[in-house]
Amino acid sequence: MIDVENLGKTFSVHAKEPGLKGSLKALFRRQVVTKPAVRDVRFHVDEGEIVGLVGANGAGKTTLVKMLAGIIYPTAGDARVLGFRPWERDNRFRRQIALIMGQKAQLWWDLPAEDCFLLLKEIYQIPQDRYRAALDELATLLEVRTLLNIQIRRLSLGERMKMELIAALLHRPRVVYLDEPTIGLDLTAQRAIRDFILRYREEHRPAMIVTSHYMEDIERLCRRILILREGELVFDGSLEKVVRTYAEHKVVTAHLARTENGAPVSSDVERLGQIELCNDVTIRLRVERARVAEVAAELLRRYPVADIAIEEIDIGTIIERIQRARQEVRT
Amino acid sequence: MLRYARLYACFVRFSFSRAMEFRMDFFFRIGMDALWYFVNLAFFWVLYRHTASLGGWGYDQVLVFVGGVFFVDALHMTIFSNNLWWLPITINKGDLDYYLVRPVSSLFFLSLRDFAANSFVNLFMALGVLAWTLAHFPEPLGALPVTLYIAMLFLGLFLYYVLHMLFLIPSFWMHTGGGLREIFYALEPYATRPHGVFRGWVRRILVSLLPFALIMSFPAQALLEDLALPVLAHMAGATAAAFLLMLWLWRRGLRAYVSASS
Repeated sequence: MIDVENLGKTFSVHAKEPGLKGSLKALFRRQVVTKPAVRDVRFHVDEGEIVGLVGANGAGKTTLVKMLAGIIYPTAGDARVLGFRPWERDNRFRRQIALIMGQKAQLWWDLPAEDCFLLLKEIYQIPQDRYRAALDELATLLEVRTLLNIQIRRLSLGERMKMELIAALLHRPRVVYLDEPTIGLDLTAQRAIRDFILRYREEHRPAMIVTSHYMEDIERLCRRILILREGELVFDGSLEKVVRTYAEHKVVTAHLARTENGAPVSSDVERLGQIELCNDVTIRLRVERARVAEVAAELLRRYPVADIAIEEIDIGTIIERIQRARQEVRT
Repeated sequence: MLRYARLYACFVRFSFSRAMEFRMDFFFRIGMDALWYFVNLAFFWVLYRHTASLGGWGYDQVLVFVGGVFFVDALHMTIFSNNLWWLPITINKGDLDYYLVRPVSSLFFLSLRDFAANSFVNLFMALGVLAWTLAHFPEPLGALPVTLYIAMLFLGLFLYYVLHMLFLIPSFWMHTGGGLREIFYALEPYATRPHGVFRGWVRRILVSLLPFALIMSFPAQALLEDLALPVLAHMAGATAAAFLLMLWLWRRGLRAYVSASS
């Protein structure tokens, strides 16, 4: 449904020296700097797939999404979404996509949500029965039926986000771009939005691209992630593959029963793995995958272990490292 | 076409709902516009106490012209003004994004989404003044010339919108439309004065390169001086050329649009 081929976008911005002198100089002579925001990106997304687009601030996530939504033109490469070039803005394409930006509202602030939805019904030419069914379904799933007649500005941030989701999905889009859909929301609202997205995907099977800085969004929603670093796609694969490829260690945590022997001796523990924490109640080690069983057995043998846990390294940490430097991540 | 009419009906309905949320503002704006009408009528009344003719037009003729000015201005304020006021800000802040993903002409959406409900009330006032000036004109005005006059005022309204847009679209490249917008507001009063008062190159510019004189003064000239056909041809040609230029610039602008960082 989404095919991206060597897509690139370069912005021209003018640089200015600091202070009044710099401003005066820039008034007459500007130094134009070209800034590549997205470089040579290539990927494919299928129907029913939710792909997580991850990267640091300025990595190019939003620029990529905006090109695929047809908002901005690329400077290189090509892309087809549902068979259309997004930036040609064909109405047949625009009727089948939706964009939700957590940081930008699309609904009219002074009107109740349902009034805004009526406008969207006209824009997307949704027949009355389909509109009613879609609104009922979405409002029920998101538990906002009683809020539809309240002005948008009187709703909480979480409720507003739910209304934004309804507004974006009323016309049953086949491709959905979610740019930071849970930003600024409390944990309960975040969870509600995530659960809703998963249920919506199950029932309607759209292709979805999600960008988020919250790792929980990515872990819960996406089986596959794309990692952007300075505009370049540095990883395209499953979450498991990220872990397998880039996390050669696991974290082994042993909770110790209290004894009179005091804390374990660090030099003894050090031989088992890289110490993350070591005191009289907890030993936490980073251990090579191949040695995990051996180290766990050794811990059980040597110390009064009450409980033991073996975990993968936090996905957020791995991604953060990939973003910092591709070669440095072999942990 | 029908779809766009239904969409526009939605815009109007929602704009009324919104405007009535803020009662004080609603009535304040009606009062402000009424004051503007009064000042303009008083301006010409005072002027004609000192002269019998301005650019070849007597007091009764100027009143017909002023009626047309009020009518076109009220329509512009009602239909376009709020939208065009926000356009450079919308472009600058990257708020065009949602308009570009909708399956509707972005130009239509951005030009017409906000219907100024309070100015709509003023439109009745303006219409009243126009009807009164036409009815009290000392010579009989035929139904056909009056109908043509009204039609030309609508054409003038469209030209007014197009000219306004031509001064705003460069915001795509300049990132702030402030300077050009101020130039437009400085030129706007030339549309509200009989073009006969201007002479030489100023007049030539006002009927060609910056055709502000065509918006309100030309329709009045067509009615009062029985010049309907040549004036209509001039207006239609200039409006069509300005409109095509606007469409071309708008498309170029959308290509240059860079949105804003999240």
